[in-house]
Amino acid sequence: MAENDADKTDGPVSGSGGLEKPHPAGYFEGETMTRRAAFTVGGQAAGIAAVSIVALPLVAFAVAPILETPEEVWEAVGSTDEFSADVYLPVIITIRSGIGEAGKTTAYVRQGSEDLGEDPADYIAVSTRCAHLGCPVRFVRAAGIFSCPCHGGAYDFEGKVIGGPPVRPLDRFQTRVVAGQVEIGPRYSVTGDLEPVRARDPGEFTGGIWEYLYPPRPSTAPAP
Amino acid sequence: MAKFPDTLLPKALRKPAKPGENGNSNGASANGEEKSVVVEKLKEAPVDLVGWVDERTGATPFLTGMLLRKVPKGTNWFYTLGSATMFAFVVQALTGVFLAMYYTPSPVEAYASITNLTNDVFMGEFVRGLHKWGASVMIILIFLHMGRVFFFGAYKYPRELNWVIGVVLIVLTLVMGLTGYLLPFDQRSYWATIVAMNINGTGPIVGPYLADFLRAGAEFESTTLSRFYALHMLLVPGAIIAMIGAHLYLVVKLGTTAPPWLRADTKPKALRTEKVKSQNGGGS
Amino acid sequence: MNSQEKEEYLREYEVLKKKGKPFFPYAVAKDSIMFLVVVLVIAAMSIILGAEQGPKADPTTTTYTPRPEWYFFFVFELLRVIKPAELTPLATIGIPTICLVLLLLLPFYDRNAERDPRKRPVATSMGIMVIIAMALLTFLGAEAGPPTEITMEAAPQYEDGKVAVAGQGCLTCHKIGENGGTLGPELTHIGAELPAAGIRRTLLNPSGIMPPYTELPPEKLDAMVEYLASLR
Repeated sequence: MAENDADKTDGPVSGSGGLEKPHPAGYFEGETMTRRAAFTVGGQAAGIAAVSIVALPLVAFAVAPILETPEEVWEAVGSTDEFSADVYLPVIITIRSGIGEAGKTTAYVRQGSEDLGEDPADYIAVSTRCAHLGCPVRFVRAAGIFSCPCHGGAYDFEGKVIGGPPVRPLDRFQTRVVAGQVEIGPRYSVTGDLEPVRARDPGEFTGGIWEYLYPPRPSTAPAP
Repeated sequence: MAKFPDTLLPKALRKPAKPGENGNSNGASANGEEKSVVVEKLKEAPVDLVGWVDERTGATPFLTGMLLRKVPKGTNWFYTLGSATMFAFVVQALTGVFLAMYYTPSPVEAYASITNLTNDVFMGEFVRGLHKWGASVMIILIFLHMGRVFFFGAYKYPRELNWVIGVVLIVLTLVMGLTGYLLPFDQRSYWATIVAMNINGTGPIVGPYLADFLRAGAEFESTTLSRFYALHMLLVPGAIIAMIGAHLYLVVKLGTTAPPWLRADTKPKALRTEKVKSQNGGGS
Repeated sequence: MNSQEKEEYLREYEVLKKKGKPFFPYAVAKDSIMFLVVVLVIAAMSIILGAEQGPKADPTTTTYTPRPEWYFFFVFELLRVIKPAELTPLATIGIPTICLVLLLLLPFYDRNAERDPRKRPVATSMGIMVIIAMALLTFLGAEAGPPTEITMEAAPQYEDGKVAVAGQGCLTCHKIGENGGTLGPELTHIGAELPAAGIRRTLLNPSGIMPPYTELPPEKLDAMVEYLASLR
C-alpha cells in the first residue's frame, strides 16, 4: 500500500504528507498508465496507418497527371509552297487525340522572313492562345497584328507584345519540314527576346528569375 | 414516455380529452360507444407513432429546442435570406442529381447529351432552366444574406466563427458556379474555364502545378471534364453540406441577432421607494 | 470588445429574446413564404428565359469573344482595367486574395461593440463603397464589347466604312465610342481633329507603333477614311 501511495503523491520528496495526484479523465480501478499509453498510441498508430493506406494512393492518383510527360506528336499541315513569309495562314492541329474537337487548336503558320533575320528554310508556327490568360487571338491581316478580344492585348507581326496586359510574346510550336511537308510539333514558350523556353501557361512571365518563380513542368515537352 | 408537444400538432390530431374530464359523463349508446372508441384510437394513432419514435430516439428535446426556441423581438423579413439561400441550394442539389441521370461527362458526348436532355426529354428544358437560373438566384441570395449580416453587425461577438464559416460557404458557392458552367461544354463554358484555369496558373511557384492539377495536364485533356464533374458533383457539395450543418448548428445555439436599432433596458429597476410614516412623530 | 461590453450585449440579447416569439410557427412561416417566392422566381425565369444551348465548344476558333458568367464580371472587368503586364498577377491572384482575407478576418479587426449601422460610420460607408464598386465593375464588364464591333450608331452611307474599321483591328488600340482599347489615341471625334486627308496619310504612313495599312484595296481604304472623317 505504501508503494502505491508513493506513486501517486507529488508532495515533498520524502514521500509522505504530499497531496494525492488526481487521476486522469476516465480512470478506472486497476488502470496503469503504461497500459493506457499503450492503447492510446497503438490506437492512433493503427488509425493513421489505415487512413494513409487509402489516402496516400488517392492523392497520388489525383496528382499523377502533373508528372506525366505526354508523347511528342508531329502533324503535317501543308506543303512548303503554301506558306509565305509576309502573312500568316491558320491551320488546325490536334494537340490531344481521342477527344474530338476539344483536342484541337488553331496555329498561325508562315515561312521565316529574311527581313526579320530568320532563315527562310524555317517555318514559324504561332499559337492562338493569348499570353495573358489564354483567350483566342485573331490575326488582322491589313495591320499585321494579333488582337485579343478579352482584355485588350495586342501583339506585332512576330508575336511580341505591343500593348495591353499580356506578359510575354505569343507561344510557338516546334516546326520541321519532312518530305516537302511542314510539320508542327509540341508547343514551347518564348522570352521577351523570342528565346525558346519550356512551355508555360498564359499569364506566366518568362526569362531571368521568372524561370524559377514559374518553374518548367514535367507535363510539358522540353524546349527545342 | 416523453410527451410530444401538443402545440406542434394540428388540432384534429391532438389527443382528445379523456371522457369525464369535460363533464360529459353521460355515456352514449352502446353502438356509439364502440364507434367513438375506434375513432378516438384512430385519432390518437399519429401521436402514438410519433411517441414510439420519440421514445427510441429521444428526439423531443432536440426538436423542441430547435423549433420552439425564441427568436428575438423585431425579427423581420431580412432574416429569411439565409434560409432562402439554403433552399436555393436544395433546389440546385435536387435538380443537379436528376440532370446527372442524363448527362455524359465526356468531352465528345457532353454537348450532345445536353441537347438530348433539353430537347427530347420530358420537361428537360424546364429542369435544366431551374438548375441554370437557380445558380444565379443562389449567388444573388448569398450576397444579399452576407450584406444583411454585415449591416446588422451580426458577425460580432459571439458569432465570429459563424461569419468565417459563411465566407467559406460563399467561396464554395462560387467554386460550384465555376466548376458547373464547364459541364454544358458550349463555347462560353470552354473559354471561360480556360481563362479561369490560367488565372490559377499565374500564382508564383505553386500556380503552374495547381493549374495542371485542375486541368489534369498541361492542355485541356481527356480527363479535364471528368475532374470538374467529380468536383462539382461530389467534393464541393459535400463540403458545402458539412459547412451548412456547422453554420445552422451555430445559428440555433447562439440565436439570431435582434435588429440593431432595437435596444433593451437591461438596468434592473430600482426598488420601489416607500415613504415610511414615523409612528413617534419626529426623529429619523 | 472588452469583456464588459460582451456581458452587456449578452444581457441585452437575453432580454430581447425573452420578448420574442417562438421560431415555430412565426419565423418558419416567413421562411416558408420566402422559399415559395424563391422557387416561383426560379421557375418563372426557367419558363420565360428558357435554357437555350449555346454553340458547341470550339477550341480552334479565332473569332469568338470569351466572357465569364455574369457573377464573375467584376473580376473580368478588373483584369481589363489593369493594363500593365507586370501587374497581371496582382489582378489575378493578389487583389482577390487580399479581399478574401479582409472578408474572412472582419470580425477580428472590427472590434467595435456598436451594431447599429447608423452608429458605425466607417463600417457602413466601407460596405456601401464595396457594394458600389462591385456593382460598377459588374456593369462595366457586362458592357465590354469585343474589339470587332462598334456599337455607336453611324449614318447608313458610312456603314461600310464602320464595318471595315471594326474588322481591321483598329479597336485593338483605339477607342471609338464605348468599344476599343486605350493603347492609342481615342478616335471618337477624330473627324473634328484631323481633316480626311490627314486621316488617310496616317493610315498609310503612321507614326509610333501603329502598323501601316498599305495592303488594303482602295475602296476599303476610302470607305474607312470617310467613316472616320464623319466622327465629329
